[in-house]
Amino acid sequence: MNRADASRIALLAVGALAVLVLPFFITSPYYIHLITTIAIYSILVMGLDVVFGYTGEVSIGHAALWGIGAYTAGVFYIKLGLGLLPSLIAGPIIAGAFGALLALPALRVTGPYLAMVTLAFGTIVQILINEMDFLTNGARGIPLTKLLFIDLRNYTDWFPFFSMPIARMRELEYCVLVLAFLLLSILVINRILASRYGRAFEALRDSPIAADCMGVSVYRYKVLAFVISAVFAGLSGALFSYSEVYLAPNNFSFEKSIEFLLAVTLGGRKSRLGPIIGAIVVVYLPNLLADIELFRGAALTVAVIGVVAGVITAVRRTHSIRRMLVPVALCVGFYVFSIALDKITDYRAAIYGVMILFVVYYLPDGIVGFLKQMRAQVRSRTQQTSRPPLSELSVAEWTPRIEAVQTNKALLEVSQVLMQFGGLRALDQVDLTVQRGTIHGLIGPNGSGKSTFINVLTGIYQPTAGQVLFCGHSLEGLKSPAIALSGLARTFQNVQLFGELSLIDNVLVGLHHSYRSGLFAVAFRSPRSVREEAEAHARAMSLLHFVGLAESANEEARNLPYGKQRLLEIARALALDPQLLLLDEPAAGLTASDIVELVAIIGKIRDKGVSIILIEHHMDVVMGLSDTITVLDFGQKIAEGVPAEVRNNPRVIEAYLGGASASAL
Amino acid sequence: MDILAQLIVSGISVGMIYGAIAFGYQLTFSTSQTLNFGQGEALMLGALVGLTTVNFLIGQSIATPLAYLLMLPVVLAFGCVQGVVVEVLGVRQAIRTGSESGWIMATIALGIIFRNLAENIWGRDALKFPSPLTETALTIGPVHIQPMEIAITLGTLALALAVEVFNRKSIYGKAVVATSSDRDAAGLMGINTRLVITFSYALSSVSAALAGVLVAPVTLTGANMGAVLGLKAFAVAIIGGLSSGLGVFVGGMILGVAETLTGFYLSTGYKDVPGLVLLLIVLSVKPSGLFGKKGIKKV
Repeated sequence: MNRADASRIALLAVGALAVLVLPFFITSPYYIHLITTIAIYSILVMGLDVVFGYTGEVSIGHAALWGIGAYTAGVFYIKLGLGLLPSLIAGPIIAGAFGALLALPALRVTGPYLAMVTLAFGTIVQILINEMDFLTNGARGIPLTKLLFIDLRNYTDWFPFFSMPIARMRELEYCVLVLAFLLLSILVINRILASRYGRAFEALRDSPIAADCMGVSVYRYKVLAFVISAVFAGLSGALFSYSEVYLAPNNFSFEKSIEFLLAVTLGGRKSRLGPIIGAIVVVYLPNLLADIELFRGAALTVAVIGVVAGVITAVRRTHSIRRMLVPVALCVGFYVFSIALDKITDYRAAIYGVMILFVVYYLPDGIVGFLKQMRAQVRSRTQQTSRPPLSELSVAEWTPRIEAVQTNKALLEVSQVLMQFGGLRALDQVDLTVQRGTIHGLIGPNGSGKSTFINVLTGIYQPTAGQVLFCGHSLEGLKSPAIALSGLARTFQNVQLFGELSLIDNVLVGLHHSYRSGLFAVAFRSPRSVREEAEAHARAMSLLHFVGLAESANEEARNLPYGKQRLLEIARALALDPQLLLLDEPAAGLTASDIVELVAIIGKIRDKGVSIILIEHHMDVVMGLSDTITVLDFGQKIAEGVPAEVRNNPRVIEAYLGGASASAL
Repeated sequence: MDILAQLIVSGISVGMIYGAIAFGYQLTFSTSQTLNFGQGEALMLGALVGLTTVNFLIGQSIATPLAYLLMLPVVLAFGCVQGVVVEVLGVRQAIRTGSESGWIMATIALGIIFRNLAENIWGRDALKFPSPLTETALTIGPVHIQPMEIAITLGTLALALAVEVFNRKSIYGKAVVATSSDRDAAGLMGINTRLVITFSYALSSVSAALAGVLVAPVTLTGANMGAVLGLKAFAVAIIGGLSSGLGVFVGGMILGVAETLTGFYLSTGYKDVPGLVLLLIVLSVKPSGLFGKKGIKKV
């Protein structure tokens, strides 16, 4: 650990301690309770952010998961006589189990299914809480008692400010407990999101298909994200029960789920601060909406901020004035509306609705996102930030981890593969054999089935008939992630990078398979997980170095020039330690100098023992690199052989140039 | 046995309402991959606007059945406008930016706003909707059936049939079908796909509003009538398949019957549970729905 790290940790510890001591200086019981509630909401909203912000799925059932956590505590208390601690363990587990029950079926298909299922679940849970009288006391609710953990009066000799009434002591201690859980949640969520898990969540959002083909199962990690989120909802619920000391079914309604979603979007996704800000707003909002004067004041503030922000952007001309006019007019209109309103409580729901609409349209990255953007703008005016270049000396030479196989058997044997889309035979009884250590070129006119072939190999399509043997094992019935992990990596014809991730993170997603430590090890930073991360980083750097991108390791992938993006895709695919690398038109759209670089890299990959299938339209590239070439036309194999043979094959010439006219020339 | 037959018949008419709402989900999902999370509110608004219109017409001393028929075009026109509002305010921008969560959040928000406005206009209490048909049940064999229940079944089927004929026979319908099968290609062929999407939202709200005035005489009308119905229709849409026109009506009947059976044999309190259970089972076994077609991923 170096000095910078040590001082950072010390600073964080002091900050954490300050947060925990803070409640002692707040005398009003109202504010103590408010802080407790905000912290409880924050835990849930942060968890929701894992699903909503990172994987992009919408859950409208978090209030129900929250309710399950809370009612676990309530039922434990009145039926089993168990206290807080067992509830804090059981609540998250039970909520997590329900989360899995929902996510496992709902996430099998892409689309708005999770939102629909969770919405239904939310309603059902509320009904069940009402109906299952024998367990939950139904509409009568469950009363609990406030807890006292330590009698602080015994320590007034050392700490005079510990002398206080017992009621305040209860409130205070619970507040500190909840804040401690909030800090713990921040720590755990931060670590999970910074680990391979967080990278997987972001990757699957940027490009689900590439994630699958890197061995990171989109389905599995979406389910995992939802379960993690449900666990935090359960924890938050269990804490909520002893904070409110009275549970009623109405606490866990659809409206509450909407409030949570509002908190994430308003505060700002993909951050820890955003959910806390969102929670503060959402917890405080009912007070605001109960008091007309306060509400008018807030509306005025919003209007002023809106106008100022509008004027600033108009002066700087970052957006067109017409586009800015609408939100500014809305802000002002909202103030006028607040003046015209006299009975505010009647319109509470509508105000929530308008807020959601406003945030979705004009503040999609939330308050935190907006501030970040502002800061970036100010920065870019004053200085150009540049990261220090990474020293290349420390980067090790990349070598593939392939077990040496003493066999003459072919690496890939495709026999009689048929791929039918309705009446179209995209692949018609294709046979193909790839020998170890060779580059196998695959060419053919557009629409001849080359990409379909790759998609069949990587499990994106299930072939209608035929067999694929890879390393002697059949790939039949395997999904893309399993095929990727068995040693078959690919790149994409239309580049499929994880655009919002940095270069090194893109490669690290490919290295996902090399980790062994689980979620708990990551959350509590076990020595092995730290070591693994360091090893993976070093390997990712060596891969980036191999393709010549080490210097821009920390750039976002979407900012790379096109040619470099293709190289990054190759590095990411190599991270899988594949036996066979499928390159789908790697030279498409590249400049001449880029192509020279690419050809050199492909040659080096083969020399290091990785076999390659190369689809390419640049004939000089294919002819120069390939050991064997297969030609497809209309889904059928029309020729195969060494480059020189194929080049002179009349059927190939006919396929490319047309039969009769070619001979007429 | 007689009771079972009775339960099935009642279940079917409830199920047709679910089917009609789910049909609306399907219309927009096929053209734009989005759907209105406030569809239940579209139904509720249709029913309440219908109620006000009918009461006004009855006030003009027009007979109830005639008033009901005269009200229909008003409600359908209203549904049309409401659907356009939802599409313009809630969906259009999200489609443009390709934001999945955007349209979900926006349509939910619009639903909340509509419900709140309805509460302020029509009050929070449930209102009686004058029935255009006699309320004495017909007896067919062992089964009692309300004339309005037959009207529900016929009305929703007529709606689905009308849409199907429109899609198959008219050039505008072909534009809708083309947009459904490939939005980009349809756009390149000169079809104004944005307009098609707006139109599908209008049609979707029309079907919800029609379902609203059909169901209102049987149940009560009120600002909160839509939420649960919209939710059930989600289950139905998933069970039947979001891509299958026929599926939602079969799915609706399955759910409707399952609910009346649960209500009778278990407890009315648990009536809403089978929807979620069926939903989860169908998603686990056949995610594209019982009648859905499996799409081909494009890479």
